[in-house]
Amino acid sequence: MRKRAYIISFYFLLLYQVVLAQQNNAVLISVNFQQTKVAQFVSELEAKSNYHFFYDPVKMDSLMVTLQVENKPIEFILEMAFKNTDYHFAISNQFIFLTKGRQIKTELPPGFAEIQKNNQLEKQANIVSDYTEEKDKKVLEATTENKIYEIGLKTNPIKPGNAILSGYVRNIKTGEAVVGASIYVASTKNGVATDQFGYFAISLPRGRHTLIIRALGMRDTRRQILFYADGKINIELTEQVNSLKEVKISADKVANVRSVELGVTRLDIKNIKQIPTAFGEADVLKVVLTLPGVTSVGEATTGFNVRGGAADENLILLDGATIYNPAHFFGFFAAFNPDLVKDIELYKSSIPEKFGGRLSSVLDITNREGNKKNFTGSAGIGLLTSRFNIEGPIIKDKTSFIFGARTTYSDWLLSALPEAYKHSSATFNDFNLDLSHQINDKNNIYLSSYLSNDQFRLNSDTTYAYSNRSIALKWKHNFNNKLYSVVTGGIDRYQYDISSKADPLTAYDLAFNINQTNFKADFNYYLTNKHTINFGLSSILYKINPGSFEPSGNQSLILSQIISPEQALESALYLGDKFDISPNFTLSAGIRYNIYNYLGAQTVDNYAPNLPKSQVNVLDSTTYKGGQIINTFAAPDIRISARYILGENLSIKAGYNTLHQYIHLLSNTTSISPTDVYKLSDPNIKPESSDQISMGIFKNAASNTIEMSVEIYYKRLNNYLDYKSGAVLLLNQHIERDVINTEGKAYGAEFLLKKTAGKLNGWLSYTYSRTLLRQNDPNAGELINGGSYYPANFDKPHSFNFTGNYKFTHRYSVSVDVAYSTGRPITLPIAKYEYGGSERVFYSDRNEYRIPDYFRSDFSLNIEGNHRVHQRTHNSWTIGVYNLTGRQNAYSTFFTEQSGVISGYKLSIFAAPIPFINYNIRF
Amino acid sequence: MQFRLKYFIIIIASINIGCKQVYSPPVISSPSSYLVVEGVINSGSGATIINLSYTVNLASKVSLTPVSNAMVSVQSEQNATYPLTAIGNGKYYTSNLNLNSSQKYRLVIIAPNNKNYYSDYVPVLNSPPIDSVYYNFANNNMVISSVTHDPTNTVQYYRWDYNETWIIHSNYFSYFKTNGDTVLARNLINDNVYQCWTSDTSTTILLNSTSKLKQAILTNNIITAIPQNSEKLSHRYSILINQYALTGDAYNFWTNLKTNTEKLGSIFDAQPTQLHGNIHSLADPTEPVIGYVSVGGVATKRVFIDNQQLPNFVFYRGIVGCVIDTFLYRYTPPGGKVVVNQVDEYINYNKGALYPGYTPLLPFELPGGPILGYSASTPNCSDCTLRGTNVQPAFWK
Repeated sequence: MRKRAYIISFYFLLLYQVVLAQQNNAVLISVNFQQTKVAQFVSELEAKSNYHFFYDPVKMDSLMVTLQVENKPIEFILEMAFKNTDYHFAISNQFIFLTKGRQIKTELPPGFAEIQKNNQLEKQANIVSDYTEEKDKKVLEATTENKIYEIGLKTNPIKPGNAILSGYVRNIKTGEAVVGASIYVASTKNGVATDQFGYFAISLPRGRHTLIIRALGMRDTRRQILFYADGKINIELTEQVNSLKEVKISADKVANVRSVELGVTRLDIKNIKQIPTAFGEADVLKVVLTLPGVTSVGEATTGFNVRGGAADENLILLDGATIYNPAHFFGFFAAFNPDLVKDIELYKSSIPEKFGGRLSSVLDITNREGNKKNFTGSAGIGLLTSRFNIEGPIIKDKTSFIFGARTTYSDWLLSALPEAYKHSSATFNDFNLDLSHQINDKNNIYLSSYLSNDQFRLNSDTTYAYSNRSIALKWKHNFNNKLYSVVTGGIDRYQYDISSKADPLTAYDLAFNINQTNFKADFNYYLTNKHTINFGLSSILYKINPGSFEPSGNQSLILSQIISPEQALESALYLGDKFDISPNFTLSAGIRYNIYNYLGAQTVDNYAPNLPKSQVNVLDSTTYKGGQIINTFAAPDIRISARYILGENLSIKAGYNTLHQYIHLLSNTTSISPTDVYKLSDPNIKPESSDQISMGIFKNAASNTIEMSVEIYYKRLNNYLDYKSGAVLLLNQHIERDVINTEGKAYGAEFLLKKTAGKLNGWLSYTYSRTLLRQNDPNAGELINGGSYYPANFDKPHSFNFTGNYKFTHRYSVSVDVAYSTGRPITLPIAKYEYGGSERVFYSDRNEYRIPDYFRSDFSLNIEGNHRVHQRTHNSWTIGVYNLTGRQNAYSTFFTEQSGVISGYKLSIFAAPIPFINYNIRF
Repeated sequence: MQFRLKYFIIIIASINIGCKQVYSPPVISSPSSYLVVEGVINSGSGATIINLSYTVNLASKVSLTPVSNAMVSVQSEQNATYPLTAIGNGKYYTSNLNLNSSQKYRLVIIAPNNKNYYSDYVPVLNSPPIDSVYYNFANNNMVISSVTHDPTNTVQYYRWDYNETWIIHSNYFSYFKTNGDTVLARNLINDNVYQCWTSDTSTTILLNSTSKLKQAILTNNIITAIPQNSEKLSHRYSILINQYALTGDAYNFWTNLKTNTEKLGSIFDAQPTQLHGNIHSLADPTEPVIGYVSVGGVATKRVFIDNQQLPNFVFYRGIVGCVIDTFLYRYTPPGGKVVVNQVDEYINYNKGALYPGYTPLLPFELPGGPILGYSASTPNCSDCTLRGTNVQPAFWK
């Protein structure tokens, strides 16, 4: 390491080396070299003298020395060794520089001392002006590759040392920020990726550099800079108009190996759009299911399970707003408009400190910013849904909007369903409206809003309706090149309503809603080129109306029943540091301190300690006034991950993190159903917590076009909620009497192989994972399976996924998706008997058996319209078949009595090949 | 494009997307069989019948194994014991218990393998009377519902079962019968096979509760729904409804049982849960015992519904596929020379007909001449005793 001298070092030396005289060291050396390479040559001379050598091993690698001398000074030895060669040496103090082709002069030219003096004066002046001067300076818009952009106040010569370069990377056509673009500096071999605002900051040695900028779906580009002092540069990227669809997972080709995070995947909407889905419309959540470590209980659910976590343990964020029910239409569709989504990021293991409050994962969905230059839009027509979006500038280059809408006309499909669902109806729609405004160079504001509605009836007179609503305002402020902040405030609401009006005497309305008010301030401080610090705070005020059951109409005899509302405040302070200890070793460590307050007004039952929470064990109850703190849970979350690069394309990473969750979804159905309720932690329901340790090996091959990774993890779950047999979850004032705290463990290994470029691209993943739960505390109520470990509902040990895309020509490509997994656990009947006039079954221990294995293959053909850039509309077709083999995958199996006889049935959701077609138009 | 879209819509609409199929899991054998206890201790003067059986393997041909040699008794908290008598087939019987409503009782079972089982002590909970039973029509069904109210407001949970009886008619009236060798005139008083009574019991668990209502009144509690073209409604129909009052605990047991075995099969179903009854083994409290014993008075109500009372659309088409043939003593097939005795060949099962043979209906004779043969039909079309009894039940009116 020490001997690796780059040209840069010479500058330092030239500037600081004031001692000019060559000191004659009288040490005499004897050597005997026979065809010796430079490394050995140098180390031997160093050992025998007190000189240090500096040279470029690449340039010197063809040097072979054959020399035998006795008791000669070092100058003589070097002269003899390099005689009649292109190699030169220079001696200055105790340092010897070896060069090829040109010799280093260790003396300064006459008159240099005066220039030096002037420079030093200027340097002192600059140190003061560094930050003040750039304030008023216009930020460079670097648009061409061949020009050399000068950054910072010009000095001559260029001062030594590092300075900070920052700026934005934007799309030249829409003015939209490019997230995850990698800026790579070839001369120093370091790089940085842009954040969610397209912002980057990097510490570089002053001097001339070439920046190489790469981003998903954008043309690779470079910028040449002459870097004098701290400064800004904005880079605009051109879209790859004719780009063939590629299944690329990661924005940064080297991110797989170089990033410090484990278990993080970013997917661009272009990737998402080529994966075949049941009804032809790109589905954000279905794609997540193809990633290793992610499973679901079945097809009719968009609830997903990450590394052994339940479906409610995923924090789903849409532009920072929490989405409680991310599904439409019984879970057949994700509730996100694919025409607006820009990208998604799934964190399975290394969850950044700024996120918290859920145990398993964070799915961060980002919508596009509106086009700041032109009005554009798109529309899509599918078999079940249609969508439309329009975007454009309000003030050119400053303010833009984007609006999206989606609706369904799915009733015809329901009439094709079996008798049991034939007389059903379903409608849904969703709307997004986002505004972004650039106040000035340092301030941006973003307003995003979202509304989704669902209403359906399943062959009965009961109508279910649910809705997500959220609005958020985000303000981004750059203090200076090193520090910026994002302050977010918002309101999220999820509600559902169930009503039945068929019989006027029992007509009812059942309503549930959850409201949360968020405030968040996130700071990003680029301390030095070795430390990037994140810190901030967040606070969420939850208000839940856990259920009101009220008569509908005057005739109704229903007794009005209202479960008292709940309130809680979840706050957190966090601090994290990404520390580049050496170019190969990076550590990211952080702490998030959570404080949770359960607030009144509320009446809380106090139960006798160490006895099951049941009515008979209630000691008394305490009533708290509104806003009064009932109890507080405080705990730190630890987030650590580290990366060590073993070779150019190989690294190992390890991580440990802990998480806490204070809001729980109560559901004893296999999939998330629209009638599930959320419950806040209270004195009787402890917060859930988990900790996870994970390790991985990451390798890139074939010029970073093939990425391979193996990750293993082990996770512990505490106070995981399971339910007593026959638990009543809806309209239950004393829910703590029907739930039990279980503990769990999850472990697994995930293998991923991706090809990111070429005619054939895609990924292949295999996951082995287990999730086991246990309830062995007899004081908590009933023991499940006698207190031994049992598999969780979503425990699927083997899971295999292949997603591939093959391009025939620029216009035609084919996508194939293959999924296999072990059947999920099920509780099966093991004996039968007669009771209540009918044959009935006796069930096995919980989740003792499994449903048949799952297999599905999908196929789609993507046809692009012509590729002329300048035309009024661009259109494309997607035609395909979902479940190509028509395998009747069991969603569930069940045993039910019909006419007094027990029969087993298997319920399949998509039991036949489903053809689909989609037409998209862009204008 | 419009055209192409439509084309695809038609394709997809013709495919059934979801589906429910019969599924047989890999053979599962239970490690052992468990005791099943079913019955209500009738605290009044009515009969108490307790059924004891063991569970059987799922693949077994029989649905239960009765426990015949057990000792069963009802015991009060004050140790008064009322033994039950085995009446065969795993049933144990007593009547006229007339228990004290202020005390608690339990069931004691000594199984043939000398294992002792006790139920929890259960309070006596008497059912209020059934106020009325009515019917109406919805979705091509006749829906029978009951009305109940509890003036004392003590009962919040109810369970019902029922016994239905109805008159069935054969498609054809048979005046003759065969004794296997020869055709005889039928005794139309004792051996009428045209009109019979048949009966059935409830197979689903019927539960309801007033706990969520302002008043303890159930106005439209559905008991059963009969398709309006059912044979049950073709002549005269009767239903005997038994109403039991349940404690909250018992209601939970029955709800669980119902959820586990009747209510599954839709997308949002709850997973099966483990059943917890109120009967325990003395030696091994973890041994599963299936059943919940309640104590209380049973309210019953019987109603009759006559086809005459019902609207015209309640119409039974009779047994499908019935035809009348004529069989002659001397029959010459067309073009044949051999004379065949069709009466022996089709009716007299000792002389060539397949048992039980066709049922003779009317004689075939020329006016004033001898009987040449009989018109006849298959027994399922003409002999109602194959599907019921021709003895009028005692309660019938």
